[in-house]
This record gives sequence, C-alpha cells and structure tokens, in this order.
Amino acid sequence: MDHFAIVTAFGQDRPGIVALMADALYQLGCNIEDTCMTRLRGEFTMMLMVRLPEGIAAETLDQRLTPYTTPLDLAVLCRAMPDQAATRQTGLEVPTFMLSVYGADHPGIVAHVARTVAQHNGNITDMNTRVIGSGKLPIYVMVLEIQLQEIPQADQLRQALEQLKPLLGVDLTFRPLESVTF
Amino acid sequence: MAIRPILLYPHQGLKARNAAVVPTDPAVQAVVQDMLDTLVASPGVALAAPQIGHAVQVIVVDVSRKKGETGHGLIVLLNPVILAQEGRKNVREGCLSVPDYTGNVLRYEQALVEGLAPDGRVVTVSTSGFEALAFQHEVDHLNGMLFLDRIQSLSTDLFRRKK
Repeated sequence: MDHFAIVTAFGQDRPGIVALMADALYQLGCNIEDTCMTRLRGEFTMMLMVRLPEGIAAETLDQRLTPYTTPLDLAVLCRAMPDQAATRQTGLEVPTFMLSVYGADHPGIVAHVARTVAQHNGNITDMNTRVIGSGKLPIYVMVLEIQLQEIPQADQLRQALEQLKPLLGVDLTFRPLESVTF
Repeated sequence: MAIRPILLYPHQGLKARNAAVVPTDPAVQAVVQDMLDTLVASPGVALAAPQIGHAVQVIVVDVSRKKGETGHGLIVLLNPVILAQEGRKNVREGCLSVPDYTGNVLRYEQALVEGLAPDGRVVTVSTSGFEALAFQHEVDHLNGMLFLDRIQSLSTDLFRRKK
C-alpha cells in the first residue's frame, strides 16, 4: 500500500537546492507529489509531500537524505502522513474567501487575525505574509485563503474582522474567491 | 447527433493544432451540432471543438447558461480570432478538461472577436466581463493552449516580485 511523508527542508538560498533535494528523493525511490517551496528573504524553504517506496519509513527518510543534503547544509525534517490526509480531494465545493490585511507593522497582527478566523470556524488553507515598505516605515501585508463551512458564517466573520481594524490599526478586505470554469 | 464525452488532459487532442473550417462543409455542421448537444448536457458555458475530439476551429459560447449572466446568448463561431483585447485582469480560472484545479491567469476584461457564423456570415462580437473570458478561454483551446499554459502564480498573486 502507498505510504506518504511530508518532508520539510530549508537552507541558505542558492542555485541548485531544488535539484539536490529532488535528485536525492529520486535516488531513494521516492515520488514527489504536491509541494510548496519559496524563498523567505535569504533562506529557501521547501515543503514536499512524497510517496515512499517499499522499505523506507518516514522516520528513517531524513537519515537517508542527510548524505545528500549535508553539502548544502539543509535542515531536514520528515514525518509520516496519514493515508487519509494524503488522499487527493476532488470536487470539494466549499465557500472560499480571500482576506487581505495590511497596515503599519507591529507584533500581534497575525495572532489577532488568525484567532478571529478560527473563532468563526474559518479554515486557513493558504497564507502569505511580507514586510514591505521602507526600513523606517515597515508595512505588514498578509493574504489568506479561508474556507468556511457555510456562507452565513462569512457575514459574522466579516463583522468581526471589521472590529479588528481600529484595534490593530490595519486595513483589510474580505471577499469571496471567485473562480470561473469553462 | 450526439452528446460527446469531454476530453480530459493528458489527451493530446487538447494540445494539437486545429484546422480552419469551411461553413458549407456538412461535416462542420455535424461538429457544431455535437458541440451544442454536449454543451447543453455539460455544466459549462462554452466548448471548443478539440474538447470533444474534433481538430477544427469551432467554438460555442452561451454564458446565459450561468445564473445571472446574459451576454450575447448562444454564439457559434467558426475560425474565431481575437482582434483586440483590453483591460488586463487576473482571473482564477478552471477548465472542464482539467478537472479539480484552478489557477490565476491573465485575461482581458473586454475582447473583440471575429469569426464566421455557421451560415458563413462574418460575425464580430464585442464582449466584456464573464463572456469575454469565455471567448478568450475557448480561442485558446483552438490554439492548443490550456489555462495551465497561462498560469501567473501557483498561489496568491500579491507578492509577485518586481521584474
């Protein structure tokens, strides 16, 4: 039976990190499935879902990767993924929303926003944040994709988010994610 | 005529070149009828001939099939080309031939499309909004292009680095 692992790895950004990781996994007989990789300033970060070959357990994968990843000094962590979580979900039709939040940077913006979303049973399915603006006047920007079980929850969440604006000194927009299929 | 199955990628018909057609060709009329039958039976608002296995330049668009949209109603175009487009916009788009996935693509708010009606008349359609997107998507199919070829970003688009 197929078994899966999540591999996370990161290290100082330079050309060849993805090639090294992908080749290592290939040599070990792993099949790379869904992944998300990005550069956080000078650090390149990778999250990979991999299908493991017979005979390799998730718990031993990081040891097996070490000989490959040591030259680039990558930090690597592997963990088994439950079969149910690894199953591809098709045709999932749940209301999805986008939330943009931005304002002068200060600690607590993410914590307050995420708590508010959670209190309304919103599920954050994707999130990116950046500090932008000048060094003297840093601006915090966050963009979230949020799934809700029901549409009525959206109005309640919108109201709660509106109340955060003066509290956090941020601006925000909460809107349905519209996609078109042809 | 018949409802045809909508081909799913990786069927290579979706990446093939498609031939211009002659309106008087009876085979073309048959393709059009199959496309109309298939469209009515599908959850979508538009189809291109290669999606049902015909390598010819025919599209059908009827955005009135979607609640709240009217557009021009049903339009059948042979050998359509986009003459002009205006108003760049980012759209989260999906395709019946690539199920269960959407991606952010660059489209245009307005489009001027020209082609032949099934009776051979030259038709020019000035379209905007949702209908304009449908035309752009279907004309892409005739050129072997899927929305996957136009993806701007795998995730949220706001943090695109400066070029």
